[in-house]
Amino acid sequence: MKFRDKEGKLEQDERKEALENIKLIKEMVFETKKHLSHYGLGWISIIWGIFCLVGVAGQRLLIAYISPHGDLVGIWWLILTVIAGFGTYLVYRSHLKTEPIKPQNSSFRYFASFWIPLLLLGFTLVSFIASVSALSPHYIFIVMLLIVSTGYIMLGLTFFKEILYMGIAGYVSSILCAVFFLQWSDIILGTVFGLGLIITGLVVNRQWKNI
Amino acid sequence: MEEHLTVRLNKAFHQKARLGIMSILMTSGEAEFNYLKEKLNLTDGNLSSHLRLLENEKYIKIKKQFVKKKPRTLCQITEKGRQAFREYLDNLEKIIRSLP
Repeated sequence: MKFRDKEGKLEQDERKEALENIKLIKEMVFETKKHLSHYGLGWISIIWGIFCLVGVAGQRLLIAYISPHGDLVGIWWLILTVIAGFGTYLVYRSHLKTEPIKPQNSSFRYFASFWIPLLLLGFTLVSFIASVSALSPHYIFIVMLLIVSTGYIMLGLTFFKEILYMGIAGYVSSILCAVFFLQWSDIILGTVFGLGLIITGLVVNRQWKNI
Repeated sequence: MEEHLTVRLNKAFHQKARLGIMSILMTSGEAEFNYLKEKLNLTDGNLSSHLRLLENEKYIKIKKQFVKKKPRTLCQITEKGRQAFREYLDNLEKIIRSLP
């Protein structure tokens, strides 16, 4: 390896080598991040897709037969969130045992540090809506989707643009539904996002083997 | 006399395979032997020798464990490795910036 030309400047070979090394590092980092970003993502998407569909169906049944003012709707979503959250943890843990690469502890802490406050905010707002009889319980799903979309936007701004677009889509569609189709908003949003997540999960699971 | 930038580049990383190993470990923290072998397109012996060199420098740790009765060799980056690789990246960046 040559180190210096007459004027002390870097020689062309060294510059080229440095650029090649940077390119290789970027490729490896991208590949690894891609693998990590798919960590159980398929099954996790399916879990949350089912969560949306079951949640909305349960909410409708509760309002129609048991709790017309929606008092129990908040508790219903809370129970479902705990179940889906536990399912997500189990999927993540099983992948942690079997996958060939592991995410760093710091990245798990980073995700938890903004998802946990966001979910707490969600629970508070949902409980508030459920306790105020003047507010329609149909706002509950909209608020939940807005909270999740905020999380997606934060993630998207930091990591992947695809997630950013999902967050923006969630935000816009929640507001549109709240303004124009409030009575049907839970069914529209629950079906679109529930099925969307399930389909995404199935596609990701199918592609998983090629990563 | 001022030291030339390329002299500052850590020779342990200034090789394609080891650069690849460290880039993967910097991102994930831990990777399986077979994953590295596949991603970097190396043979068992070749990868082993690169890993041994990095381990001797205390840049990585190698652990062996059993998962579902199958042996697994895991490579883990150390804090020293992380720091040394950051320095290497800084120096590479300086070289790129020195481009006219």
